[in-house]
Amino acid sequence: MHPATHPESALPARPHRTLKIGRVLRGLAATAVALPLIFGAAACGDSGDSAGTDPNEKVELSVFWWGDDSRAETTKKVLDAYTAAHPNVTFVTTFQGNQGYLDKLSTQAAGGNAPDLFQLDDNMLSELAERKVTLDLTPYVEDKSLDLSKFPESLAKYGVVDGKQAGVALAENTPGLIYNRSKLQEFGVAEPTTGMTWEAFITWAKQVSDKSGGKLPGTMDPSADYKALWVWLRQQGKEFYNGKELGFTAEDLTRWFELWKGARDSGATPTADVIHEGNSSDATKQLVVTGKAATSWVWSNQLAALSKNTKDQLGLVAYPGNPNGQWARASMYWSGSSRTEHPDVVADVINFFVNDATAAKTLGIERGITPNLDLRKEVEATLTDANQKASLAFETQITPQFGAAPAPPPKGHAAIRTLLVTIAESVQYGKATPAQAAQDFISQAQSKLA
Amino acid sequence: MALTTASAPVVPEQPGRGSPVARKRRGAGGGRGREGVAGYVFLSPWLLGLMGITAIPMLLSLYLSFTDYSVFSTWEDVEWIGLENYRTMFTNDPQFYRAVTVTLGYALVMVPLKLAAALAVALLLNRAWRGVGLFRGLFYLPSLLGGSVALALVWSALFAGDGAVNEFLAFFGITGQAWVNDPDYALGTLIILGIWQFGAPMVIFLAGLKQVPVELYEAASVDGASPWRQFWHVTMPMLSPVIFFNLVLETIRGFQSFTSAFVISNGNGGPVDSTLLYTLYLYKRGFAEFDMGYASALAWVFLLTIGILTIVLFSTGRFWVHYADGDDR
Amino acid sequence: MTAVAPHVTVRKNRFSAGQAVRLAVLIVGLLLVLYPLAWVIGSSFKSDAEIASNISVLPTEFTLSHYAAGWNSFDVSFTRFFINSTVIALLTVIANAVSCLIAAYAFARLRFPMRGLWFAIMIGTLLLPGDVLIIPQYIVFNTLGWIDTPLLPLIVPKALATEAFFVFLMVQFMRGIPRDLDEAATIDGCSPYGVFWHVILPLSRPALVTTAIFSFIWTWNDFFTQLVYLNELEDYTVPIALRLFIDSTGQSSLGAMFAMSVLSLLPVFLFFVAFQRMLVEGINTSGLKG
Repeated sequence: MHPATHPESALPARPHRTLKIGRVLRGLAATAVALPLIFGAAACGDSGDSAGTDPNEKVELSVFWWGDDSRAETTKKVLDAYTAAHPNVTFVTTFQGNQGYLDKLSTQAAGGNAPDLFQLDDNMLSELAERKVTLDLTPYVEDKSLDLSKFPESLAKYGVVDGKQAGVALAENTPGLIYNRSKLQEFGVAEPTTGMTWEAFITWAKQVSDKSGGKLPGTMDPSADYKALWVWLRQQGKEFYNGKELGFTAEDLTRWFELWKGARDSGATPTADVIHEGNSSDATKQLVVTGKAATSWVWSNQLAALSKNTKDQLGLVAYPGNPNGQWARASMYWSGSSRTEHPDVVADVINFFVNDATAAKTLGIERGITPNLDLRKEVEATLTDANQKASLAFETQITPQFGAAPAPPPKGHAAIRTLLVTIAESVQYGKATPAQAAQDFISQAQSKLA
Repeated sequence: MALTTASAPVVPEQPGRGSPVARKRRGAGGGRGREGVAGYVFLSPWLLGLMGITAIPMLLSLYLSFTDYSVFSTWEDVEWIGLENYRTMFTNDPQFYRAVTVTLGYALVMVPLKLAAALAVALLLNRAWRGVGLFRGLFYLPSLLGGSVALALVWSALFAGDGAVNEFLAFFGITGQAWVNDPDYALGTLIILGIWQFGAPMVIFLAGLKQVPVELYEAASVDGASPWRQFWHVTMPMLSPVIFFNLVLETIRGFQSFTSAFVISNGNGGPVDSTLLYTLYLYKRGFAEFDMGYASALAWVFLLTIGILTIVLFSTGRFWVHYADGDDR
Repeated sequence: MTAVAPHVTVRKNRFSAGQAVRLAVLIVGLLLVLYPLAWVIGSSFKSDAEIASNISVLPTEFTLSHYAAGWNSFDVSFTRFFINSTVIALLTVIANAVSCLIAAYAFARLRFPMRGLWFAIMIGTLLLPGDVLIIPQYIVFNTLGWIDTPLLPLIVPKALATEAFFVFLMVQFMRGIPRDLDEAATIDGCSPYGVFWHVILPLSRPALVTTAIFSFIWTWNDFFTQLVYLNELEDYTVPIALRLFIDSTGQSSLGAMFAMSVLSLLPVFLFFVAFQRMLVEGINTSGLKG
């Protein structure tokens, strides 16, 4: 209703008509909506109580994750090991490339068919938790049947949304800079170090660009990257999110954009069109792999994956600034469905994944670093790949310096991430000034978080 | 009417058109009795599909467009918000207008060029000669690639700043752009991609050309008509129902284009929203940002707009589409 | 526009100037059109390290390994995915061709009450962007209990002529068939069913062939519907399997993806080349031969 409309004159006519259309539509829709509800209720009606009483009851859980064949292989091995220990529990597994994963999960959830156990990340954890799609694991964490005591504290907390344990970290991860060691040696430039200031890092990058004769810019421009911005904000005592709102102002964002505008103008980074290629989240498009920049802003566990796509030797170091701006993050979570018939079993399977030594060794560090600190050493001993060892060593070294974990990103985070890319690119291409762009971001972000 | 009138000297009178039987039928206003029953018998599978499969989801999406519905909402949480989604769209959504502009620019350029390419190649490949099948297949190949991941990688490799297109241009001393990575040119590469996949309308044109009775060409060349005249006075009128079909469908599909923009921009519509086609925006809102209520509202605004456009196309059809069944509906 | 010139004249001088020009135009066109595909094929022979950095058509080091490795990447081999895709595509071809032909005959040739309205609704179903229908459709199929038998949600809708594109396509083609043929048959005592069987069906060959080609190819390439309804690896089709190679945050096997993409083009290409023949041997063959 337009605020200027006089209430008495407008009210009787318009809502009347809308309501009527509404009633008709609702009636039509009700047919389709009601049926699955009835079926859904009938399907999982009274089985909840019986689940706990009979330990030998046959249980079949559906499990869904995204990833490639090697992840599928290790995940299935762990599930098979669980079945071997609990012969009454079997699994129906589905895996998908990450393109299409969410579409399928949401379609199934909307149809009341969500899998019993599924993989999530920060993009969707809060959304699903707030919509009550995820099982509340808090009781299991409290009675230790799902034991998170061996996790770094910040990692255990990071799966809590609105006071409820919505997911359990399957692996830990930290942002990391991956740089081209071979090329640095060729140009005779020193490798970057943990704890460099942002300014020193940009100066270093400029030096790389100059030594290469302008052929290899020193670093990708991360101004469109939410995780870089987040670390930078925390190092100045701010947060990306403050509850369900943004934790920073247009002024902060302007300074961030200006920092990188300076870097671009000095030649420390590539040009906007190349930066755009690197803004793709795809591992194979990272500039350190395509040879279009000496450094990419990625995750610490990606060293092995990125190395596969280049002949050069790569190195790993923390993002610039004080490492206390970082924290132990979940690279992925296991979550249960709130409609599962066997919540106890779901919690027990999750516990098996994160606390069983054999399971941890089977999983390796493909999803990220082992979350259980005790098992981390055992897993370390089994690693053979030099790059995987380097990722793990990096994580071990940086973990004591971590700051406290913030809350996981609120619902709307996925939209905010893509919005930041669009807005930051408008600065990179010179379509907007840092100040204008920062204003645009703040105003559009508010409607996405509302 | 212009085309039909002009073709009069060459195209022989279609027997069905003015024949007494046909006139009587129309005058009698049929539709009753045996033919009416037969009509519904033949229509019944489609009707069943409409009622059972198509209509309910469509109405449900209409309902959802008036709600605040996240794909993860339980049905009890779906909140009726009246016209709020529609109001937001028109008053407080810069990306909506951006998407409309991008889509208009895309479809209005791409569709006519794609149809022209399809028709030209179909005419070149119409006659039977040794190896024509292989040629047709090869021209159809790009369309076989559809919206696959491979396609996205090819396109960015061709149209990147250091891509093959620029190497080719450099050969002529031209300095190219960053095409797919430049907000001013990215939509252009998407248009080229759309035209490149002209296989579907080409096949439909080929099939349509098979329906043109060769006697008409023979009659025309006996009359001494030049190939150019034959094209305008025989081929075009006889092909017009198929041209009409391709025009309507490619227009609808052009406005609905999604996959290529999705794979090439990694689902984001970038750089800087320059390839944010309408349905890509709709998908982003619905599946990446989970706001399916809003996405449904976007879909219904789309349906109404394209519906009007389709009605306009259908009403122009009666001036230039020539049906051999004599029923100028 | 020599294409429309009658054969009789061209046939005599076996290699006329016009023909040479046409051939030249076709070949130049083909080179332009096929370059991107050559790139896909070339990339399938590059090593993973080379794919990201070398953007030219030819690999610097030629490797065949992606073909073998890609084929057996998963617990279930691509043989299975190809069979699944073929079965689904062929069933769709049959379902679409039969159901859409029947519906189109009603729209194009028969007069019955509310024909105009139904026709308008049929066109209307083409207009709604499919993305918003995925979830409601899933709910409907779930209610019907079809979710556990993936073939039902994938095939039954096609058997009920829900692909309005093909209905409209066939309507347009049928309207190109002169009505005096029906009338002659009617006068000979044919019922509407007889007309359909003896007149329309044989004359609809180009439309049926076109429908078959598109049904096959579009089903072969369809990702979304199959993604939603197929759950187990053994049931996966080629497009779903191809996307398993891509995990944007982790390991991506681009080489294998390119290799399998190339192979997945082959069946559709062959299907196309085989079926387009029927466009040549269509109803006007006698006339064509002049």
